[in-house]
Amino acid sequence: MNKTTILTIARKDMKATFSSKKVWVPMIIVAVILCIIVPALIAYFGIHHDLLGTSTKDIEKPINAFIKDFPNEEMRNTLIALPTLGYKFVYFFLTFMMIPFFLMVAIINSMVTSSNSFVGEKERNTLETLLFAPISIKDLFLGKVLASLIPTLGISFAAFIISFIVVNIITYPHFKVILYFNSTWMILMFWVIPILVLFNIILNVLISAKVKTFQEAQQFGGLLVLPIVGIIISQASGMFFLSPFTLFLIGAALLIGNLFLIKLVTKFSNRNTLFQSQIH
Amino acid sequence: MTNIIEVDQVSKKFNDRMILKDVSFTIKEGTINGLLGPNGAGKTTIIRLLNGVIEATTGIMKVMGFDPQLHGDEIRKRVGIVTESASLYHDMTAWDNLVFFSKIYGKYDTKRIKHLLEQFDMLGFKDQLVGSFSTGMKKRISLAKALLHNPKLLFLDEPTNGLDPEGINEVIHYLRKVNQEEGVTILICSHVLHQLETICDSYLFLNEGRIVEKGAKKELEDKYLKEIRLLVETGLKPLNSQSYMGYTYSRRGSNQLEFILPSKDEITSLLANILSETWIHNCEITNRSLEALYFDIRGGIEVE
Repeated sequence: MNKTTILTIARKDMKATFSSKKVWVPMIIVAVILCIIVPALIAYFGIHHDLLGTSTKDIEKPINAFIKDFPNEEMRNTLIALPTLGYKFVYFFLTFMMIPFFLMVAIINSMVTSSNSFVGEKERNTLETLLFAPISIKDLFLGKVLASLIPTLGISFAAFIISFIVVNIITYPHFKVILYFNSTWMILMFWVIPILVLFNIILNVLISAKVKTFQEAQQFGGLLVLPIVGIIISQASGMFFLSPFTLFLIGAALLIGNLFLIKLVTKFSNRNTLFQSQIH
Repeated sequence: MTNIIEVDQVSKKFNDRMILKDVSFTIKEGTINGLLGPNGAGKTTIIRLLNGVIEATTGIMKVMGFDPQLHGDEIRKRVGIVTESASLYHDMTAWDNLVFFSKIYGKYDTKRIKHLLEQFDMLGFKDQLVGSFSTGMKKRISLAKALLHNPKLLFLDEPTNGLDPEGINEVIHYLRKVNQEEGVTILICSHVLHQLETICDSYLFLNEGRIVEKGAKKELEDKYLKEIRLLVETGLKPLNSQSYMGYTYSRRGSNQLEFILPSKDEITSLLANILSETWIHNCEITNRSLEALYFDIRGGIEVE
C-alpha cells in the first residue's frame, strides 16, 4: 500500500469534484434542502403557526391513537406531554423522521462521486494511462474510495452541525430539550452513516469498474436508494422503530457487508481483468 | 550492447482469437526501433504485454531483466509510454497533469517538470487546460509525461497520428533528442512508414500477429533489393527507346528517366557516362524507401 499514491489519486479526484459546479452544487443543495431547510421550516411553522390548525379535531384523534400505540415508551411519554398537536408533530418529525433524510443525503452524495470514479476515468481515456503507471489496483481503488468518502462525510457532518444549531435555536425555547443530542442521533451520525457511505462507495466503485458507461453505473447505484425509501415508509407508519440498538445493528450488518465487498475488490484487483474488461 | 527487451515465442489469445502468434524478437539498449504493420496486426498488444498490463497466453518475455507478468510495476517504474488512446486529464492544466503523474510515478520534482516543459517548448502554456490544446501540443505534454521519471525505455504507439507535417517533424526531432541526450531506448509502433525512416536503427515487421521480418534497413535492403531503380533528372535523349548502356529504362517525365540496374555498383559508371553527354540535376534510388521494402516484404508473404 502506497500512501502517497492513494492520497494523490484522492486529491486529484476531489479537486475534480469541487472544480465542477455541476457536481458539487447539487450535492450541497440536496444536503441544505433535506437536512437544514426542511427541518428548520417544520420547526418554525410547527411551533409558531400551528401547522395543523385548531379546527382539525378530526385528525387529532387518529394521531393521538398513533402516539398511544407508539412502540418506544420514552418517546410516547414525551409526545403525550407536549401541549399542542403542532408541538407533537415537530418533536416527532425532528427526532424521528429526520433520520431517513440524513441517510438519503449520504447515499445520494456518495453515489454521485463514486459512480463516476472508474467510468469517469474510462470515458476520458485516462484509465489506460493509470493502468500503465506503476500503481497497484488496490491503491487505485483505495484512492477512489477516499475521494468519495471525504466529501460525502464532510457534507453530511457539516449539514448535521448546521441543522443542529438552526433547529435548536428555533425549538429550545419551547421544548427545553436539545434535539438531535441523544444516543440515536450520535449512533446514526458517527456509526451508521460513515459505514453506510463506505458501503455505498465501495459497491459503486466496484460497479463502476465493471460497467462500461456512466449511465449504467448510475442506474445500478440508484437501486441503493430503495432501502432508504423503505425506512421512510416504515418510520412514518410507526411499523419499525429505529432505536439506538436497531441503528447499531444496521451499522454492524453494513460493516460485515463492507468486509465482504472488500474481499470482492481484492479478488477483482487484477490489472489484466480490469484492463481487458475496460480498455479496447 | 545488451538486450533491453527479449521476447521468445509469445502468443496472445483473446476471446478465442489469436492476436499474436509465436512472436520472438530482441531490442538492444540505446536504439530506436520501429514496430511496423497494418492496423490490427497486434502492435498495441505487444506494447501492453511488455508493460504487463495484459498477460500472454504462452511464451517468455523479459524487459530490463524483469518478467512483465510477475514484476509489472518494476517495469512500469522504468518505462515511459505514449499511447494513441491513453490520455491526459483535459480538465487539468498541463502543470497539474505533470505534477499528478510525477507523484504517481513516485518522482515528484518540479525542476524536472520545468525542464521537460522547456524541452518541449510548452513552458509558456503550463497554466492552460490540456483540453484547450491542439493535438500537437497534447502530444508534446504526453511525451513530457512519459519522460517525467527518467525512463530507460520509451514506448510510443502511433505517436504521430492526428498531427500535421510540422507536428510530425517536431515529434521526430524530440524523440531523436531524447534518445541522444538521455540515452533512452525507444520502440515506436506505426503504420506510417516514411515518418520513421530517418529515425529508426532497426525495424520489426508485424503482420496478422506474426513477426514477418526484422533487421536494420541496410540488412533489409541487402535481402530484398534485387534490383536498383534509379530515377535521373537529365537532358539525356537515348537513341534506343528501351535501353541505354545495356540498362533498361523508362521515361517518367520530360526530363526524367528511370533506369533498372542490377546493383548499386553500376550507378557511378552510368552517371559518368550520362555526364559525358549532357547535364544531370538530380538522381535517387526509388525502390529502397522503407515503404517500398515493406511492400516487398508483405508481397513475399502473400506469395508464400
